[in-house]
Amino acid sequence: MKGPVYLNDKTGVVVIGATGREASQVIRESEALFPGIVKAGVTPGKGGSTELPVPVFDTLFQAVSDPKVGALINTALIYVPPVSVLDAVMECLDSGIKVIYIITEHVPIRDSEIIYQEKVRRGAVIVGGTSLGCFVPSVGRIGAIGGKDPSIAFRAGGIVVISKSGGLTVTTAEMFKRRGWGTYCALAIGGDIISNTTYADVLMELKDDPNVKGVVMLGEPGGSYEEQAAELIQSGVFKKPVAAFISGRFQERMPEGVAFGHAGAIVERGMGKASDKISRLEAAGKNHPVKVAFYYHELVSAIESLGVPRDFEDSTAAHVKPLYSTVG
Amino acid sequence: MKLYEHEALESIYRKFKIAAPKFVFATEPNDKVREFIEKEPAVVIKSMVLVGKRGKAGAVKVVSDKAQAIEVFKDLATREVYGEKSIGALVEEKLDIKKEFYLSVTYSTKDRAPAIIFSEHGGMDVEEINPSLIHTHVVTDVRSVYPYQIRKFLVGIGFSDPELLRPLSEMIVNVYRAFWETEARLLEINPLVVAQVGDKQKLVAADAVVLLDDDASISPAVRYGARGGMGRPLTQREQDAILIDQGDHRGKAGSYVELDGDVALMTFGGGGSTVTAETAIEAGLRIANLTDIGGNPPAEKMYKIARIILSKPGLKGVLVCGGTASNTRIDVTLGEGLAKALDDMKAEGVLNPDLVWAVRRSGPEYVKGLKMLHECFVRNGIKGEIYDSQLPITEAPLRLRELMVKLIGYKPEEVV
Repeated sequence: MKGPVYLNDKTGVVVIGATGREASQVIRESEALFPGIVKAGVTPGKGGSTELPVPVFDTLFQAVSDPKVGALINTALIYVPPVSVLDAVMECLDSGIKVIYIITEHVPIRDSEIIYQEKVRRGAVIVGGTSLGCFVPSVGRIGAIGGKDPSIAFRAGGIVVISKSGGLTVTTAEMFKRRGWGTYCALAIGGDIISNTTYADVLMELKDDPNVKGVVMLGEPGGSYEEQAAELIQSGVFKKPVAAFISGRFQERMPEGVAFGHAGAIVERGMGKASDKISRLEAAGKNHPVKVAFYYHELVSAIESLGVPRDFEDSTAAHVKPLYSTVG
Repeated sequence: MKLYEHEALESIYRKFKIAAPKFVFATEPNDKVREFIEKEPAVVIKSMVLVGKRGKAGAVKVVSDKAQAIEVFKDLATREVYGEKSIGALVEEKLDIKKEFYLSVTYSTKDRAPAIIFSEHGGMDVEEINPSLIHTHVVTDVRSVYPYQIRKFLVGIGFSDPELLRPLSEMIVNVYRAFWETEARLLEINPLVVAQVGDKQKLVAADAVVLLDDDASISPAVRYGARGGMGRPLTQREQDAILIDQGDHRGKAGSYVELDGDVALMTFGGGGSTVTAETAIEAGLRIANLTDIGGNPPAEKMYKIARIILSKPGLKGVLVCGGTASNTRIDVTLGEGLAKALDDMKAEGVLNPDLVWAVRRSGPEYVKGLKMLHECFVRNGIKGEIYDSQLPITEAPLRLRELMVKLIGYKPEEVV
């Protein structure tokens, strides 16, 4: 198998909520970039529709039992509205699908909890809610990550990017690409309070994967998932270089309860502060190859100083000049 | 969203049979309040604010002298607590307290499950309780939660009062159900008291901190009314910004939090906005606002938020900054929406010509979009630099600082 469990050369995707605005755009783009990766779509009431480049079914059960595409489907991409996500996940699990991405934002926490407990019981892999998807340049893409022209940001290499923020996943891959490091796997895990795939889950999954040369971890305040990753590294289970950046230090200087950015990135009751996460990761860095960047763009020098080899040449000028200037 | 204590008492405690003191809430000392005070031998009066630690701020008072009660009520119903104005006061019967426990239910991200947190040593701030005296029961199967499980937990932690085992375990399950069924993120009772009522001991929830999930299947803002998160009323610009996204789900441009500074931020994406704002602050720029624009908003939305952001008095610089968008069109947002806002402001004579700009953006149609914005800068005499993603996103605030120092002698804040 080429590629990690999240996305590999055996991956066949079914999109749940396929005919919605965002989902149909993603299906069309995916079909153009990686033909054949999406096998089918499901939208109740739109079965048999020919508006998409893949067959559309009313129910997932019909899709997975279809003689043409059914056997190829093993991964689901969920685009339904927040209150329908739990139903969609249960439909996937009951149809035997074991890898599920929840792209939908604002899933009720209670539903996320039910989903997580069900995932554990069934031994499935679920990424999200609020995931942007996954990109493995050597294999393909799931979701909208990287947009219409992902070649701007992604080139095959040895870096794993794990980020709560979808946008920063791409921005980070691009920053590294410009400086000579390509991506093995970029995974937007989402910033929900109950996260089905955490940094530690990904590190456990990839710890023995020889394609992984280094990990870039982007964290946010809230919860304890960054701390759990620090613990895992501290325990010696994950041994490869990790460069981390935790955003949101500035929120600690603001009134408690100021929510900004993702739902999970809320500083409340002194739990999950950025500074706590940073000090836990720095502590792990005393005995393990871990570096925490002060400025986000210093992630690049962190990866460099950890000895992660470049995959190709650095293409950036030492001092970037503006594209346009109206200043003298 | 956080509830006021009286809201929790009225809408949650009653429904889930969580025993609470008799109470009355009012904004002024009306007849109900007077009758209540008359009937009770002594009362507890609390300011109704969302901020915690009211007791320490003197906003919770026990009154047994009835002659004083109305004056205390008037004071507590209107006073400011840590800068937050009371919306009224809650009057409760004074309980004959024998013991004080701590009880809360919240999500533990360590276990990725609801956690019931209990201590026999309540009544003080939870941070002040010796951690070895705080015990946690993790609900690993949300499909079945019964009092016997709680009794097993209580016996396991050496709970000291066997007579209370059954009523306490039942109360805890009621509290858990309230947490679960109202889709809360936190339900905290501190103290949960053992009160003497006649010759009996009774468990009573003497406090209610309820934080509901903003993403709950029924939005709490619909049920209880929207409330700002800053502990202050929304500013006019913040209210105007909220309207941008109302009734129009194409993208998001209406998040705007006003701050004291002089550098306006037009930032894009949840993660990108956070790191950009953060770097700006670390670089000593005094930021004037936070925002988080994304999801490919139409030009009209960008036009509106740009005008709101730029209308704040005293601005000296503007940072337009985002990563490489997957979806948001750069020609639409910057080339059309922002550029039109600048054209119109110039025509109306309200565009400050001394503002210093730095722009950093990439994504769909960025070549076209950045060129359009540059043309707009030229025709309106706007001073600034425009970058694409060759410049790492968080170097943009540093470039803006350089430019502002050079062009207008800006003095960045010393950041420790």
